Amino acid sequence: MSLDIIIELEDLAKYYTIGGEVIKALDGVNLEIGRGEYLSIVGPSGSGKTTLFNLIGGLDRPTRGRVYIDGVDISRLDAYELAWLRCRKIGYIFQTFNLIPVLTALENVALPTVFAGVPRDEGLRKAEKLLTSVGLGDRLHHKPSELSAGQQQRVAIARAMANDPEIILADEPTGNLDLNTGMEIISLLQGLNKTRGMTLISATHDLKMIKASDRIVYIRDGRIERIERG
Amino acid sequence: MASIALSISFFVTLASLDTFQQSAGFPGALSTESYHYWMMTVALIVSIVCITNTMLIAVYERYREIGTMKCLGALDRHILMLFLSEAIIEGFIGGAAGLIFGLSLTSIYTVITSGFGALLSAPGHKLLALSLGSILLSLCLSLGGVLYPAYKASRLPPVEALRFEP
Repeated sequence: MSLDIIIELEDLAKYYTIGGEVIKALDGVNLEIGRGEYLSIVGPSGSGKTTLFNLIGGLDRPTRGRVYIDGVDISRLDAYELAWLRCRKIGYIFQTFNLIPVLTALENVALPTVFAGVPRDEGLRKAEKLLTSVGLGDRLHHKPSELSAGQQQRVAIARAMANDPEIILADEPTGNLDLNTGMEIISLLQGLNKTRGMTLISATHDLKMIKASDRIVYIRDGRIERIERG
Repeated sequence: MASIALSISFFVTLASLDTFQQSAGFPGALSTESYHYWMMTVALIVSIVCITNTMLIAVYERYREIGTMKCLGALDRHILMLFLSEAIIEGFIGGAAGLIFGLSLTSIYTVITSGFGALLSAPGHKLLALSLGSILLSLCLSLGGVLYPAYKASRLPPVEALRFEP
């Protein structure tokens, strides 16, 4: 069966020079990710997971190799086009939620729509709908400090979906949550992957997340060690 | 905001004191043509240094927030506009607070030294011009002080901003 490829990594490498020493954070990664796939990236700390995320997300530029998203080599995009990609095509979920503390849940979720140039009322309406869909319809006007960790991650998930991205990049989304809350977040992400057909790429150590995914990519020392089916 | 309020109140105190003194019949008693200008300039320079320093610290403390916004699709101009908008609001509030504080101090001083008459006979147009001028000045000070930090914030690479641990 031929997959509809949304992301293709071709000999991807990222080197850092620290104190005269070259650190190979990623060294020749080749990978194809299908549209609507749920992929887990697993590896020890310092294995290159975050670097891989940053390169797929257009947050950093590779030392060598290419990242293609929908056939477009993103290393050729300028700053404006990369911002467009991050805004419309990719949704980010962070381990530490990264909500803006002075904004309410509703405003946090509506924020990406502001960057996308969506009219304010429309953005807020959509944010309300998304928050309701993640079970926070009664927490719209709460600030992040007034929400539990699980609720904050739900807000972050709703925010990641604000501009209907095709790809969700989740960096250890259950890393700061307890067992039960982590399970809820996994179900939520799995539901989004299945119902909305979003491509979900998650860096994780969480066995439950790994089990829920279609494919598991094991990464070590900046290289893909092996790939397993979920 | 406090530094804007303080410098504007200092500026308003010196400038309005002269207006009140002249209306009380002491022309040139505390002329703004002498050391007042020098003191005002010092106050304004201190203010702009304080604002720049405060905003640089604010940018530093908000590295992750800026990185997050860039991840969500914010352009450099969105970040720039965010800091400039904040500067306009802070400049206006700081300027208004400084104006009220400065005028209150001068009014109290004038009533004590020259009586209510001097206060009531002060030319309204001069005070209005002073008020508008000081608000405008505080906006300029605030924007001037925030330009470099805002530019610095807007140019931050997202990956560097996200990696930052306060």
